[in-house]
Amino acid sequence: MTVLEPMRVTGPDTFPSSKTSPLLIIAGSITLFIVALPLFYLTKRALEVNSETLRIVFWRFKTVEIFITTFSLALGTALIATLLGIGIAWALNSVALPGLGLIRALVILPIAIPSYVFAYAWLSFGFLPKGFLAALFVLTLTTTPYVTLAALAAFRRIDSSQLDVAQTLGLNPIATFLRVTLPQIRNAVAAGALLVALYVLSDFGAVSLLGVDTFTRAIQNAYQGSFDRSSASILALMLVAISTLVIYAESSTRQRSRVFSSSVRIVRRAPFNPSNRVKIFSMSFISVYLLVALIMPLALLINRFISRPKPIDFTSLAQASISTISVSLVGAFLALLLALPVAMMAAQRSRLGLWSERGVLLVHALPGIVMGLALVSFGSDFPRIYQTLGLLAFAYAILFLARSVGSTRSAISKVPQNLTEIAATLGQTRSKIFLRVTLPLAAPGVLAGTLLVFLSSMKELPATLMLRPTGFETLSTEIWNNTSIFRFSEAAPYALLLIAIAAIPTFLISRPDRDLEKGEI
Amino acid sequence: MTTLEITDLGVKFGDREILKNLTLTIPSGSYAALLGPSGCGKTTLLRTIAGLIRPSSGAIRFGKKLVSVSSLVLPPHKRNIGYLPQEGGLFPHLTVSENIGFALPKNSKVNERKHIIEEMLELIGLSSFGDRKPHQLSGGQQTRVALARALATKPAIVLLDEPFSNLDQTLRAEVSEEVVALLKRTKTTSLMVTHDREDALVSADLIALMREGHVVQFGTPENVYMQPISAEIAESTGDVIELPAERNKRGKLISPLHESKIRSAKDAKAKKGEFGSLLIRPEEIRIHAPGKKHPRAIIREIHYYGHDAVLELELPGLEKKLKVRVGGPIKYKVGAPVGVEHHGPIRWVSR
Repeated sequence: MTVLEPMRVTGPDTFPSSKTSPLLIIAGSITLFIVALPLFYLTKRALEVNSETLRIVFWRFKTVEIFITTFSLALGTALIATLLGIGIAWALNSVALPGLGLIRALVILPIAIPSYVFAYAWLSFGFLPKGFLAALFVLTLTTTPYVTLAALAAFRRIDSSQLDVAQTLGLNPIATFLRVTLPQIRNAVAAGALLVALYVLSDFGAVSLLGVDTFTRAIQNAYQGSFDRSSASILALMLVAISTLVIYAESSTRQRSRVFSSSVRIVRRAPFNPSNRVKIFSMSFISVYLLVALIMPLALLINRFISRPKPIDFTSLAQASISTISVSLVGAFLALLLALPVAMMAAQRSRLGLWSERGVLLVHALPGIVMGLALVSFGSDFPRIYQTLGLLAFAYAILFLARSVGSTRSAISKVPQNLTEIAATLGQTRSKIFLRVTLPLAAPGVLAGTLLVFLSSMKELPATLMLRPTGFETLSTEIWNNTSIFRFSEAAPYALLLIAIAAIPTFLISRPDRDLEKGEI
Repeated sequence: MTTLEITDLGVKFGDREILKNLTLTIPSGSYAALLGPSGCGKTTLLRTIAGLIRPSSGAIRFGKKLVSVSSLVLPPHKRNIGYLPQEGGLFPHLTVSENIGFALPKNSKVNERKHIIEEMLELIGLSSFGDRKPHQLSGGQQTRVALARALATKPAIVLLDEPFSNLDQTLRAEVSEEVVALLKRTKTTSLMVTHDREDALVSADLIALMREGHVVQFGTPENVYMQPISAEIAESTGDVIELPAERNKRGKLISPLHESKIRSAKDAKAKKGEFGSLLIRPEEIRIHAPGKKHPRAIIREIHYYGHDAVLELELPGLEKKLKVRVGGPIKYKVGAPVGVEHHGPIRWVSR
């Protein structure tokens, strides 16, 4: 006779929400501990402050002005990018554009252009102005794809029968959009806008090149300008506070909604808008965006590349590419390892899981420069790992962990519950269910999250500048080294190569033909 | 060959009691249906038997094997059951063959695994579909593959949760018939949840009628249809008319239908001088030309179904309309008077 065992449960007495296994709790706690490290070191350094440094921080660095500039830049960029992103996504979803697949891939591609490369292209024009508006322009164009991607996914989830019903109830197309479509894409678009705002808050390269005084630039100045790193830490903590506030604002506007569906829902897509005027308008709108956001910077870079005075230094080019790819890969892999336990716990909706996810989100508010600063502090306590490649990869992993966690968690929680239940009735243990059902079904999302970390790591600049070993150059540092002393032509090959490499994961993430329902990866 | 035995089973969600002291025994090899309105706990019962929900009290036995006693439970993967949820629940990332072979051991005896899969494919008549993905199958084919997957490990008991609800009506009868035949052929003890009374009456050997967490009546389809224990229970297997009735001091039965004709109430359980009601099925009433022989009623509505029709009659002494099922060509008119006669068993329910 078989021995019975007590079923361990939390919440409703059902099988899949069974208690988190101890192994998972340990793994999740390790992630939480690691994620808390930079915040701890930052606070520790900031506590060393005295009234004199505080005075310096507020007066010499003009904190109030910096605050206003930073905040308006983030808000302005998020707003314009949101409008542009919704517009592009709407056009892609509702108009039969020629070469739709290609356009869909192209409008996402500006993500592959780091903001500092775009800013450098802007400057290399020679006559374009620097300043706030230039930064707003450059940052908006490079961050719009975050909103486009989110809105596009949300549009595809809307069942066309809802739109039909709205029209039969007497709503015109605009009212239908406002009252039926918009509420349903709202959460997704807000999440995209949040990514944009955080991107701007943490951006260092573009604002520095374009001479806009934001927090990141002030932190860099404070860091380089004195041996006393506590003033830089104070500025960094302020920036973290703003980022946290933005995250909080986004999550409080979010409307909670639950999908009451036991299995994958089949959504009928709306037919394309037949109007020719709409088609021409959409086409020209997207063309203009692609022209300024993609073709213009690329053309400028290619122009610089062709007209460079010196031959290409192939060894350093190859070395920088290998360095970039390998450190970013290690970072992405570390992020995957750290993200899996947290994502699994969060998908089970256990309390520990939800808190870990919040912890990870909080660290998401850490700009690269702040992470660099914190880990420099950490490294000075542990000189053996300071300025090692391991620490740099580790910085990438923590910096972009939230992307991996978010993508992995939503992929895991989208696996229909009845499938895991059936696997249980078919004699599979919990770990086998995870390996044979949950993971294969969630694989596309997990992979996308990892690619996102890889992509972000390759483009990362400020933390790389602070944490890399002496003499270690990545594509991003080479671009920075050359552009900061106005050697635009020398920077061109590195910039083009970085964009080319970054375009691969970008394309894979945005692949429009991916279909989860058919189990495609 | 396994008897499913449930004793005093209780399930609570928080403070809410979903199942209360439920006792039910499904004999080995039979196909039983759980029939009841939504919210009566039938799906909860099924999931508790599967081990997906932990009960708060009671015991469940598969044959001699105890799988659940009070809150100690055998986890679902150790129960050797087959489970067919709504819409089949095929794994979308696996082919038909991989779905069927999901629970079969992979490493040892590769040939045996392959052999079983082929056998199952043949059994469900989809031999050439092994390499397809679930989304390439029709709804009926998906249900059959899900059944094959559930049967591949030769489970002791198969549990079906409204397995045909996503199929359209014509397909539903066909697939249901095939599935029942398969389960009968493999002599598997099966329990199906349904709210479709026809489905239960046609296919099941036994029907358990559920209300508010209890099994209120359990028996063969004929038994639960012909001898319902109350008017409410009678409704769950078909239309029923509740006729106010009296057994007078001399032992005669009197009701709006029986007032002129005096019938023996031997087979009714009524005492002399008791008031109660009679439960009558619409097909148990005969229509005659109006006359003195039978009580007179007036046709108020005619529902035409093609193969038959239901007349709604106004009968003096009865508040509700009297429903009568009539076959053959319909020759009635709304407003016309008819004579009605009760022609069936006396089902007495005391007040």
